[in-house]
Amino acid sequence: MTSPIDSALQGLIEAYLKRLRQALGSLPPEEIAEIVREIHGHIVERAESTQTLNEAALKRVLGALGEPEDIGSLYQSRAMVARARAGMSPLLIVMSAIRWAGRSAAGLVACLFGVMGYVLGIGFLVSPILKMLYPDRVGLWVGRQYWNLSMGTLSAAEQGQAHSQEVLGWWLIPFGLIVGPLILLLTTLLLRWALRFAIPAAVVRRNQPDT
Amino acid sequence: MGGEISNWEAQIRKGWLEVAILATLWRGRLYGLEIIRELETSSDLIVAEGTIYPVLARLRNDGLVEAEWVEGVSGHPRRYYKLTSAGRKRTLILAKHSNTFLERMTALIKPLLAEAK
Repeated sequence: MTSPIDSALQGLIEAYLKRLRQALGSLPPEEIAEIVREIHGHIVERAESTQTLNEAALKRVLGALGEPEDIGSLYQSRAMVARARAGMSPLLIVMSAIRWAGRSAAGLVACLFGVMGYVLGIGFLVSPILKMLYPDRVGLWVGRQYWNLSMGTLSAAEQGQAHSQEVLGWWLIPFGLIVGPLILLLTTLLLRWALRFAIPAAVVRRNQPDT
Repeated sequence: MGGEISNWEAQIRKGWLEVAILATLWRGRLYGLEIIRELETSSDLIVAEGTIYPVLARLRNDGLVEAEWVEGVSGHPRRYYKLTSAGRKRTLILAKHSNTFLERMTALIKPLLAEAK
């Protein structure tokens, strides 16, 4: 038995789909159109199969479907991870890792690793510039009595301490310029690998058309 | 305590949902609502019906299912999903792993439940 959907109820459905469209924001328009079409079909079929279709019944149908923002968020996470694991954008990869971090302990570890890797890489990249600006205060310092490897700006008093000595000198400039990008690249590749591990796929096929 | 259990249950449901969706498609193509109805009768995995659509999108993206729009008799187009050959292989592997896992878990907890009676 099917019940017709009047214009007032259509308005409720439209409002739900509008929220869904907004929640799907950054997805390609054609993908959004397909998702909305599919969810619309679901709502209509569920609604039409209710014995008495009124506002309360339709609200139950929409309630059973879930909040459009939650559905949109699940689609966005999937799409972001798919793009991140295919690409090399550190921003996209970190954003995906942050989303992943909110869902599992493995994601949190990957996210922390990513942030540390990028901070370290950027630190090495910036160190040659700082070395040129403050040659006496920037360097790679190694302790004599114990393992104490540190790099960065040191105060004059700390420099004077006998237990440490600067080992790289001006070599810090090529060192930073080589090691910095290498750490950034390695972090990106490892995070991307971790994201692939996050959503294992028997066959990774992107932009697969409908058949 | 109740919150911890419901959180654990939510994680369990989430973990099993993919296997369950793939299993429903084993015998042939289904559209979203049919998959939900199937899961409603054979399991209590679905809390919010809308969550199966992003999972289906991911399975499609991973090449495990393929989708096809078909005009329904009621006038609404339906998006049917069916397993690809890679999807069938994956479903079988997951089904075997699930079966072994469930058998071992049952063997582990059965004496406990019998004793608790």
